[in-house]
Amino acid sequence: MEQQMHQIELWVRQLPVEQLYAALAVLVVTFAFFAILHLLKPSKSTTIVLAGLSGSGKTALFYQLRDGSTHQGTVTSMDPNEGTFVLHSELEKKGKLKPIHLVDVPGHSRLRSKLDEFLPHAAGLIFVVDALDFLPNCRAAAEYLYDILTKASIVKRKTPILILCNKVDKVTAHSKEFIKKQLEKEIDKLRTSRNAISSADIADEYTLGVPGEAFSFSQCRNKVSVAEASGLTGEVSQVEQFIREHVKH
Amino acid sequence: MLEQLLIFTRGGLILWTYRELGNALKGSPVDALIRSCLLEERSAETSFSYEAPAGGGSYTLKWAFHNDLGLVFVAVYQRILHLLYVDDLLAAVRREFSQIYDPKRTAYDEFDEIFRQLQKEAEARAEEMRKSKQFNRAPPVAGKKQRPGQRAGSQGNGKQKGGKVGSGKDDADGESGKGRGLSNGSSNGQENGIKEPSRAPSVLVKGKENGAPEVGAFDVNKLQKLRPKGGKKTDAGGGGGKASKAEQKKMVKKNRVWDDSPPESRLDFTDPADEKGDSIVDVVATDQGESMMDKEEIVSSESESEEDEGVESAKPGTKKKGWFSSMFQSIAGNAVLEKSDLTPALKALKDRLMTKNVAEEIAEKLCESVAASLEGKKLGSFTRVSSTVQTAMEEALLRILTPKRSIDILRDVHAAKEQGKPYVVVFVGVNGVGKSTNLAKVAYWLLQHNISVMMAACDTFRSGAVEQLRTHARRLQIPIFEKGYEKDPAIVAREAIQDASRHSSDVVLVDTAGRMQDNEPLMRALSKLINLNNPDLVLFVGEALVGNDAVDQLSKFNQKLADLSTVPNARLIDGILLTKFDTIDDKVGAALSMVYISGAPVMFVGCGQSYTDLKKLNVKSIVKTLLK
Repeated sequence: MEQQMHQIELWVRQLPVEQLYAALAVLVVTFAFFAILHLLKPSKSTTIVLAGLSGSGKTALFYQLRDGSTHQGTVTSMDPNEGTFVLHSELEKKGKLKPIHLVDVPGHSRLRSKLDEFLPHAAGLIFVVDALDFLPNCRAAAEYLYDILTKASIVKRKTPILILCNKVDKVTAHSKEFIKKQLEKEIDKLRTSRNAISSADIADEYTLGVPGEAFSFSQCRNKVSVAEASGLTGEVSQVEQFIREHVKH
Repeated sequence: MLEQLLIFTRGGLILWTYRELGNALKGSPVDALIRSCLLEERSAETSFSYEAPAGGGSYTLKWAFHNDLGLVFVAVYQRILHLLYVDDLLAAVRREFSQIYDPKRTAYDEFDEIFRQLQKEAEARAEEMRKSKQFNRAPPVAGKKQRPGQRAGSQGNGKQKGGKVGSGKDDADGESGKGRGLSNGSSNGQENGIKEPSRAPSVLVKGKENGAPEVGAFDVNKLQKLRPKGGKKTDAGGGGGKASKAEQKKMVKKNRVWDDSPPESRLDFTDPADEKGDSIVDVVATDQGESMMDKEEIVSSESESEEDEGVESAKPGTKKKGWFSSMFQSIAGNAVLEKSDLTPALKALKDRLMTKNVAEEIAEKLCESVAASLEGKKLGSFTRVSSTVQTAMEEALLRILTPKRSIDILRDVHAAKEQGKPYVVVFVGVNGVGKSTNLAKVAYWLLQHNISVMMAACDTFRSGAVEQLRTHARRLQIPIFEKGYEKDPAIVAREAIQDASRHSSDVVLVDTAGRMQDNEPLMRALSKLINLNNPDLVLFVGEALVGNDAVDQLSKFNQKLADLSTVPNARLIDGILLTKFDTIDDKVGAALSMVYISGAPVMFVGCGQSYTDLKKLNVKSIVKTLLK
């Protein structure tokens, strides 16, 4: 071993200095080139994240989008559901089929941290709200939505958000305008109480909306839209439209 | 008979279900199972009982995991039935299903036939077992296991004695054998206890039936679902001995007369007209600076050292001759985790947790739960068993310590303010944990956020309690509602709340006397206070120095609150305030024990004796400290 090292050393000493410098320079330039390429290349992600409270219908929606049916039903998820596939309704279309990467994050409060794993790569977020059982869960839904809207990864990347009112096939489901207004009101209240606490309390990195005015979704820097769907019966056209809009290749 | 058997993925999709004659299940027992048991790291328990709301049926659920494929198998049956073959059946189903499972498929109709077969076999086996046991029947097992005064009808058939479901006395049978004094409403614990001595080769594959007493220890989730028991199974000895304490309260003090002292009409010095103390007392208000609740905690992100793991896993007895093959397998990544692989790593983890002052039963339960979730899983490549176990344990701890509901008190206060009523917080706990001190700290913090606070001195037992609160109230300049000593605390609290709404205070902080969890009359008085006033938040104050007693304290408090409640949905402990946190360096295990046993989040942490020493619990740093 040592002999070899010694020999290598001698050989290196032999080389003319210019050659060494040239070799080093080439290496540095190559690295710099790749680094710049990597930074400049816009990384288009094709990930759409489904989030929402437990019981709002995310897993059912996931399977509806993937297979066109919810099979035998769902239970509370313990792990996220991930899949890269072509939307079921697009399977019959001719032409180039673009697969999307859909992630369904469990809504249970103890598993909320899983959301942070997927958000930095999300091209869009669908926040699923139970339109049927909305009022008892309004506050919890607003808090979750508020947390999402103030996360750094969402604000900085201006991720578009779709608030999806699920379960509209039922007669007593609320309309999307009603839900939108209620959420805005609740978030407004949250804003005042959260801003009263200093920032160390919650991981708020950004504040929402314009102080002094009532909060509305149009004040967010990222685009927030509202739509209706029914995971059970398969009326998911508005969702698919959102997905196709924001997943580009 | 079996009501339903479900197979679903961990992601939530149901793969196959078996329904008995198409009966729909009332309520949603499977969701309740997942939320309150499996996600709470109680997956090592043997069964879970569920009562559908609004008088639906009551069910028992049993489950099995297939950790490698990420599948869960759940069997649901009526609680009054005792189906002996369920565990066996679940194991058989798991075996068969994993052979036909394919991640791409979502419909498995051919499994119906296989299942019917398996069910018949399992039932037949169970019948055989039962019959053979009947022939070997000794004198009824029930006699020696029962506490006095219980019904004697238990035959060893495993059939439940009709009608006494949910009686608090059931479980005593299962537990007295092991000498545990805790009671809970688990009828399964009783079933297991009777079965134990009566069959030698156990049909029950799991072998966890011996865990009946362990089931008994932590069934707060069951408590919340069960209706309050009329018959109390209590430690009669403990209760009787303490009764004398209650009598002391009734002794009236005789007035002492000294000739040269100014004549006092009463000896009760709680007269607020005493001016002498005032001038020296400073007004504190915002003088002491920001409460530590609002300061950011700097969490150092050091990576964990892998060296301790290396030392711990290289214990003598861990497969010297299998070293090469295990190394090879860890590189190739095809080793399937067996119980025997996990045991040494888990034992090491359990010891480490216990040195951090986690209660022994909790550490045990936690390790079992992590084992249940790892068994059968394939090791990833280049990972050792110990690191897999470590990661799984870390995840589990994070999951337990993360609060499952929002602990944003300010938000709740604002919500109550909008409704026009004061937000009532009751501080309960055993003697000497720091209730009054921390009450003052919480009041200080609330004041800093411009919320008007009122204190209610409902500790009418301990001398000086009212004065203590009065001093704090003067320093913080907030109103205090007091009625002196020897009054009924429940009435004092009620009047305090009415007073608060009159003076439009936003929050009422109610201080109660410290009491031991075994003291029956005092616990009853506490229950009365809570039932009468229906506070918004019941805060259990516990000190971080407590060791294994934390389990006992919390479970007994919860149980007494549930038992003695007059309404069906009893108010249990909603939050925990951990005190004297500055006295422990890194032995932070008490936080874990308390959260695990009660399911309530830690809302505040008291770390000193001045007003600003109140923090929030930093979950990540606690987990890191626990596993260091």
